[in-house]
Amino acid sequence: MIVSKEHILDFIPHRAPFVMIDGLVAVTEEKFESELFIDAGNILVHEGVFQESGLMENIAQTCAASFGFLDRQHEGKPKIGFIGAISRVTVHALPPHSSKINTIVKPTHQLGNIFMVTGQNFLNGKLLLECEMKIVTT
Amino acid sequence: MYDKDVKMNLEEVIEETRDFLSEEFEVDRDLILPENSLKDTLDLDSLDYVDLVVLIEENLNIKVSGEDFKGIVTFGDFYGLVQKKLGI
Repeated sequence: MIVSKEHILDFIPHRAPFVMIDGLVAVTEEKFESELFIDAGNILVHEGVFQESGLMENIAQTCAASFGFLDRQHEGKPKIGFIGAISRVTVHALPPHSSKINTIVKPTHQLGNIFMVTGQNFLNGKLLLECEMKIVTT
Repeated sequence: MYDKDVKMNLEEVIEETRDFLSEEFEVDRDLILPENSLKDTLDLDSLDYVDLVVLIEENLNIKVSGEDFKGIVTFGDFYGLVQKKLGI
């Protein structure tokens, strides 16, 4: 773990109860990986299941935290990122609360301050959701 | 998809480009003319330009950057960029 739960708020602008990432497992320019334990009280848990909106928000926050991490490594000021668009969403399964998911995000294209990324969430290696996102940084 | 080992001439590249642009951006192929505005014809916003970059890479096997789009107004300008990138 390169950024733990105790320090993750240093890398994202989100605050409770809308923090959907626990920590960063690994970050390179090509690949970001995070994890999240889904608490039963998470606001995006409905009828015991973490919703697809939560999985997508988790992907977006993985991006935000990872871009912030890379900015700091380059001694730059962390940028704020916004979801510009979400496309090609496929939901394979939704995880129950009290489970831990892993998320992998890969930046695929960049045009100026707009990044195209692919995101995937996994539960015990099983693919939950995959999508493409355009993230706009300021 | 453009295959660098199968040399296409510019006219063939343009026709292929009209095909994938009209399909992806759901515009009449006949509107994709050299003198027409790329942005207005395809109704591009800033986010759509990323889709355009992806399409160009997937279909023509070339990489373009934001800098490359400076000065690109018409499809004719765009074909000039493609021609330069492909070296044809």
